[in-house]
Amino acid sequence: MTRSPRGTPPPTTPPPKTQPVRPMEDSLLLRTIITTSPDGIMTIDADGTIESFNPASETLFGYRADEVIGQNVNILMPEPYHGEHDGYLARYLETGKKNIIGIGREVAARRKDGTVFPVELAVGEMEIEGQKKFTGFIRDISRRREAEDLLKASEQRLKQLQSEFVHVSRLSAMGEMAATLAHELNQPLAAMMNYAQATRRLLEGSAAEDAERLRDLMTKAVAQANRAGDIIRRLRSFVAQGETERSLDDIGEVVNEACALALIGARSDGVETTLALAEDLPTVLIDRVQIQQVIVNLIRNALDAMEGQERRTLRIETARGDDGTLAVAVADNGPGLDAAIAEKLFTPFNSSKDDGMGIGLSISRTIVEQHGGRIWAVPNEGGGVVFSFTLPIDA
Amino acid sequence: MAEAEKNIVCIVDDDEAVRESLQILLETMGYAVHTFESGPDFLEACGTLEAGCVLLDVRMPRMNGLEVQKRLKDITPELPVIIVTGHGDVTMAVQAMREGATDFIEKPFQEDALLASIEHALTLAEQAQRRSETIAAVKSCLETLTAREREVFDQLIVGHANKVIARILDCSPRTVEIHRARVMDKMEAASVAHLVRMALTAGIEIDAD
Repeated sequence: MTRSPRGTPPPTTPPPKTQPVRPMEDSLLLRTIITTSPDGIMTIDADGTIESFNPASETLFGYRADEVIGQNVNILMPEPYHGEHDGYLARYLETGKKNIIGIGREVAARRKDGTVFPVELAVGEMEIEGQKKFTGFIRDISRRREAEDLLKASEQRLKQLQSEFVHVSRLSAMGEMAATLAHELNQPLAAMMNYAQATRRLLEGSAAEDAERLRDLMTKAVAQANRAGDIIRRLRSFVAQGETERSLDDIGEVVNEACALALIGARSDGVETTLALAEDLPTVLIDRVQIQQVIVNLIRNALDAMEGQERRTLRIETARGDDGTLAVAVADNGPGLDAAIAEKLFTPFNSSKDDGMGIGLSISRTIVEQHGGRIWAVPNEGGGVVFSFTLPIDA
Repeated sequence: MAEAEKNIVCIVDDDEAVRESLQILLETMGYAVHTFESGPDFLEACGTLEAGCVLLDVRMPRMNGLEVQKRLKDITPELPVIIVTGHGDVTMAVQAMREGATDFIEKPFQEDALLASIEHALTLAEQAQRRSETIAAVKSCLETLTAREREVFDQLIVGHANKVIARILDCSPRTVEIHRARVMDKMEAASVAHLVRMALTAGIEIDAD
């Protein structure tokens, strides 16, 4: 605030326009309150004709008082209220049944320019010289509504994200399971074929009685192994079609979303969770859903491992790894890994859980390796396990 | 003896059954086989093996095939590498080829494809072997030349005539002629063109000045 050189302070409040007249003091006070009220205040008569319209109402509706005084209040309402308001009034005067008076509710209002906005409306009733009149108190709640809508939208987005994730991850889990199975089956199949082909070759030089018959049978065995190989190959290419929609993503964002998904639900209640995301990490070329699936999987495993413990701490970390990689680590303070389990950790169908199939980590490995990364587990300092995986940073 | 060495095939695969069965199959095909359970095991031994080629599995736990391939280059850069993919991973195969693999084959192996792939690799190994033998032979012949003969040799492969060489080396054309005959004899060269080819093979720079 600036002062004039003479030192006279500027008035902090505008001087009253009219001098108070003693007998009218109450009435003036009332009028001042109505004039300065932040809420719109207006009065109508029993026919719905506007009799007064305070400055806040002018701001809300965009009408000057002299434009609306004498008009039906329904010009301030959008349809269907616009057409039905006279009826509401008439019914109230006839039946005395209060729908809004003294209750207040959220309704829609219409500005002079035709735009509609949400308001909270409270109506008071009075009788002056035998004439029924109504006072309307109007508060603009578009801001509040907006905030509520935003909140609702973000809740909805989270829910949608979750259900999409569940859907996609179920699909992709099927795909990954198929890929993992394909690989695991392929190894013994390859060995079988090698043995059969070797046997057939050995029989070629043999003069034994049944040699020719045996060779024939071996040829059939090879053909059948080939058939199985074809099925696996088809399965693999089928799986390959549905996968890898890769895009350049910010790993921090991906981790954040995955955490939000994994930490939904009662299991994560009371878990001290720390997110330590390194800044300035370059983007990585990944299939977002698949990588999130890996993170969600690791977090859920961590939660399972810590179940029933009094103190449960979960730490999720991103960092720049060695030789051009990013690393993501999920650490828990659970009971840690049994040496026997640790060895077969990433091999399918080796679950330590009663209700698990034991393919989560092996699928995670498939996904990480398909991205050109590595996944491993080490004991956590002070108990528990740290699962880490890397992703190569593409130029 | 050299013939036998070229038929040694190495197998690097973490799956025991795959390893053993492949060994038996390759042995019935007439190859000598060494098997290794992991990349590091193979890298440790490969320097002294005289192997003809290696079948390298891509998907192994301790060190994957591509990593092994990379490190192998520092030890025996000439050894042909056949990459074995278990799950049809095209990106890995492409990467392996870019890194200089001679071929990649998919599990389960088709006998014919396997045979063709190994034969191709062994042919490459043989060519590399022959090339290095030729280089060694040329170099050992070169070492038998006297300093003066070497000077004449250097002028000959540039394409200079005796007279020109005589002028450059400041001697008589007759002397050049004698040196030349000795060079051709020691190098076991049939013609100057042959001599030039030897020089190129041995990586000797041909400098006209």
